Order: sequence, then C-alpha cells, then structure tokens
Amino acid sequence: MTKKLICRIAEIPANGMKECEAEGGLKLLVANSGSEYFAVQAICPHQDVALCEGLYDGAVLTCHQHLWQWDIRTGAPMGLAEAPLERYDVMVEGGAIYVGSQHALSVGELFTGIAEGTLAALTALAKREEYAEGNTLYKPGDPADDFFVLDAGRVEFQIGRDERTSPAGFMLKKGEVFGWAALLENQPTRIATARVLEKSALLRINGRQALKLLESDPASGYIVMRRLSALIARFLAAPGAR
Amino acid sequence: MRIQVNARNRAYQFEATPGEKILYAGLRAGTDLPYECGTGTCGTCKARLIEGKVADAWPDAPGKKYVKPAQGEFLMCQCAAEGDVTVEVASFVYAMDPGACQLAALSGRVGAVRPLTHDVTAIDVVLEAPVDFDAGQFMAVNAPGVPGMRGYSMVNFARQAKTLEFVIKRKPGGGFSEWLFSGKAAGAALELIGPLGKATFYPSLARNILCIAGGSGIAGMMSILARACQERYFEQYQGHVYFGVRTMRDAFYLDELSAFRAGFPDRLAVTIALSDESVPASAAAEHPLLRFERGFVHEVAKREMAGKYQNVRAYLAGPPPAVDAAIRVLLLEAKLTADNIRYDKFS
Repeated sequence: MTKKLICRIAEIPANGMKECEAEGGLKLLVANSGSEYFAVQAICPHQDVALCEGLYDGAVLTCHQHLWQWDIRTGAPMGLAEAPLERYDVMVEGGAIYVGSQHALSVGELFTGIAEGTLAALTALAKREEYAEGNTLYKPGDPADDFFVLDAGRVEFQIGRDERTSPAGFMLKKGEVFGWAALLENQPTRIATARVLEKSALLRINGRQALKLLESDPASGYIVMRRLSALIARFLAAPGAR
Repeated sequence: MRIQVNARNRAYQFEATPGEKILYAGLRAGTDLPYECGTGTCGTCKARLIEGKVADAWPDAPGKKYVKPAQGEFLMCQCAAEGDVTVEVASFVYAMDPGACQLAALSGRVGAVRPLTHDVTAIDVVLEAPVDFDAGQFMAVNAPGVPGMRGYSMVNFARQAKTLEFVIKRKPGGGFSEWLFSGKAAGAALELIGPLGKATFYPSLARNILCIAGGSGIAGMMSILARACQERYFEQYQGHVYFGVRTMRDAFYLDELSAFRAGFPDRLAVTIALSDESVPASAAAEHPLLRFERGFVHEVAKREMAGKYQNVRAYLAGPPPAVDAAIRVLLLEAKLTADNIRYDKFS
C-alpha cells in the first residue's frame, strides 16, 4: 500500500476538519474525532461543493448546500444523503498524518461500516475486471450469480427486450453496487441489460459466497442487509415518501 | 416536442410546448426534476444533453457558473428544447406526490401596490385563472423587458386563489425591483410559472413549527401562518416565529403578525429581532402582542429556543448568510434532523 503524507496533526483542530493536499495532488478532507483522524473525499458526492465549507461536530459531517450528512468514522450516509463518502486509510506517525490507498469495496455503498476482517474477506472474494466501452455485462435471463461494485467508469441499464427497451438508470460513482439480485433469494436471473458506456473497472463478487461470509459475521451482515434494503427502496420509492 | 430525461434510477418522458423550459415541462408533467430557485441562480437543475438541441434563453444567468457547457451541461430552468431531446440528470428522480399542486404557466396583472417600508413593497397580482399552491411556495415571475425570471413567495394562502400577494425589496440595479419601483408597474401584464418550492407546510405535519425569516423572507412565512391559523393548527401545536430586520423602520406586517397571535395567544409566539438598533420603548407599547429583541435573528432564536426543540419542523428564509447561520444553529445546537429544516436556496 502506498502511503502519502497529507498534513501535520497540529493543522487539524480538535473535533475539527481541514481540506489538505497529499503528495501527488490528491485533495482530501482530514477530520479529527477525539484521539482519531479520518480522511474522506474533499468534494460532496452530490454536487461540486467543498465539504470543508460544511459543518462538523466531531462525529457528523454536514454539507452546507443541501444538508447531506455522513458518519465521519465510516463515511456512511445519514439522513438526506444518497451516497456514502469515499474514505481513505489513515496512519498517524510522529505528528504527521499519512493516507493510504483506497479500495472500491471499502467505499462501497453496501459495505461502509462493517467489520474490518469481514471487509478484508469480501475483498479477497472480489475479482477486478476491466471492460472496454460497449461491452454488455449481462442481459435479461442470464443467471444472477455475481454482483458488481463500480471502481471506475460508467455502467448503464436498460429494461425490456429487443426494440422495446427503456433506460433504467445508470451508475457512475465509485463504490456503487449493481446486479444485487445475486444477494436475494428466489431471484435467479437478470431482469435488465447492463452495458459499459466507457472504459470501466469493476469488482465482481459471487453472491452466494458473500452471503455465506456474512452469515459468519451477523452484525456486519445486518448492516449490509439494511443498506441493501435502503438501496432497493430508492429504486422503488413511491410518491408521497417525502 | 418529446423530452426524455435519463435519471440515476430510471427514464421519464414528457411533452414540452415550443419555447417551454425543460424544467417547467417536466414539473408540469408530474416528474419531480431537481431544482431549487427555478430561476437561473442556484445551478441545482443542471443536466447534460445526450441527443438533440436546446436553446438557452438567458446565457448570462448567474447559475451558469455551475455548468460546464463544453461537456454538454445546461440549466433546465433556462433552456427549451428545439425538437426532441434526451438529457441526463445525475440524481434520483421520482414522480411528484399525488397531492402536489400542479405547475402551470399563468398570466396576471399588477393590482394594488402597497409600500410597506422605505424599500419594501407589497404587490397584488390578479390572475386570469385561479391557481392552487401550498403554503411556503413561490412563483417565477417575468416582467416586461427584464431578462430571466425572479422567484417571489406568496404571502397569502387560499385554495383556487385569484390574487397572489408578493413582497418585493428594492435592490439598486435589480432588474425586476427597479422596474416595479419605476412607476410603470401599475396594471402591467406579468407572466408567472408555478407554484414552485419544497419548503411547504401542511396541517398533517403534526409538529411544532419554527419560522426564522430575515427581511422579505417573511413572505412565505406569512402564507404558512395564514394556512396554520385558517386550520386552527395552533390549538394543538406550538408556533415560534422570529422575524429579523435592521431597525424598526425596516419592520413590516407587524399588525398582521399581531392578528395571527391574537387568535392563538397560548401557543403562537412572534418575536421581532432588530440587528442594528436597541429596541425602542415605543415598540412594545404599539405592538403589545409581539416581543422585540436586539440581535441577529438566528442569535435571538438560538437564545429563546433553547430547550424547546422537541418535535419541531423549522422553515427558514431570507438573505443567504442569515439562512446559513440559522442552519448552523439548528443542526449543531438544536440537533434537528436535516429533513426538519426546510428552505429554498436562491443562490
């Protein structure tokens, strides 16, 4: 893992935050919470707003533009937020703060906040695949064995068959999960076409193996299932939900 | 013209009339496209053109600073389709609530004009056809010869309203307000689009309400209070109203606020915050039902609201620095959840 210096401890106020630039130009928001430090993406995943202009109380970060909120420890979305924050590993050595590299799974919308050991085991299950523009990942009727986590690029969905298709959304954020039918019971086949719109990198994880792993850590499994149900609800959201 | 909007969760299709802005066409069709100001300032309705052509009615709109035209980005509130178009919106989009008031293009004439202070005026707009709106909503208003539209909140509240009341603050160099104060406005024809805005109040909310307004931001609060009083909401729930102005000379609607309070003296409290002068002795004598305090409105509210935040929904409006300061108090000190802090951003 590459480790980059990002700032000195003295630069970060107690229970405060600051936007810092790591060696190589990566800009991150570094926050203090008690005796710990956290590093997350500097820009709100909603619109191009600097999170350092937001509000932070030592535990919850709020973007001042539309009041999206996150748990600084995990990057998990709270309240109105519709996406997690990308989180980076942090090491504190001799008054300096270093950030590590970051894995799409650790910022995956289903997995923020689960036990480190379980995350590592899931990461070991993940196969990284790269696709060129125009590739079809799956189509209706294909077996729904694996789910995917977007690392980079862009994936689009279509429902319907032949000439009668209709766009069914798209994914473009690192950590977004799709093909989640692989995590559901009695959903053996795909119901949509998934197509890669630009050169993309994906993590492919077998659904049955992931579920088995989560059974051995029910606390993490519960978090994943809660997030999965929130994800599904977002696609089903009925009028009047506000 | 057929418009297709590809959103993060699904695609929507709707028809637009020639020249109709894509945002308004979508809202009219019941598709809850993202927007806040609806009038070219906030950048929230940013979209990306995938196929077809759009015409930008106001290329110098302040909100253009949020878009990257080289990547096909544009503001849906300012652009009309030229033929069928497909656009992409990078957020989740849902159908509007079935009970939401339908957006429409409206015509009206400027009726009564009543100066409220040295630089604030109330105007009535008499509509050709009645309209339904929710308390707290606004209209995008277009004046003859002024580029772009301006958002103004309704002051009154009525179903099938034939007259809309607005509060206009005079801003030197502000196209719309200069036009209004020029004397040419009486009887003039206006184009309106709306209702717009999500900082709305419904009696079924069943929460205590807190209104914090600065200056002309009181307009939407008056509509909220009008509806709440019509429905005798304050027989059951508390209402806390904080209205910030610089000096007594800048205060208005004090008689109307007193009348609201007179109907529900036990549960409705109204405080006027004066930021630039000490409270004159005459203030309380002339307005015995109102409280007067010295300070910025968010600071006065913070002092008085401590310990009273249970089951509260807050509505905020006014100059952006005042709204931001109030948000800070409500999130960090009052610990309100973000969905109970409602405001429409105009910048």
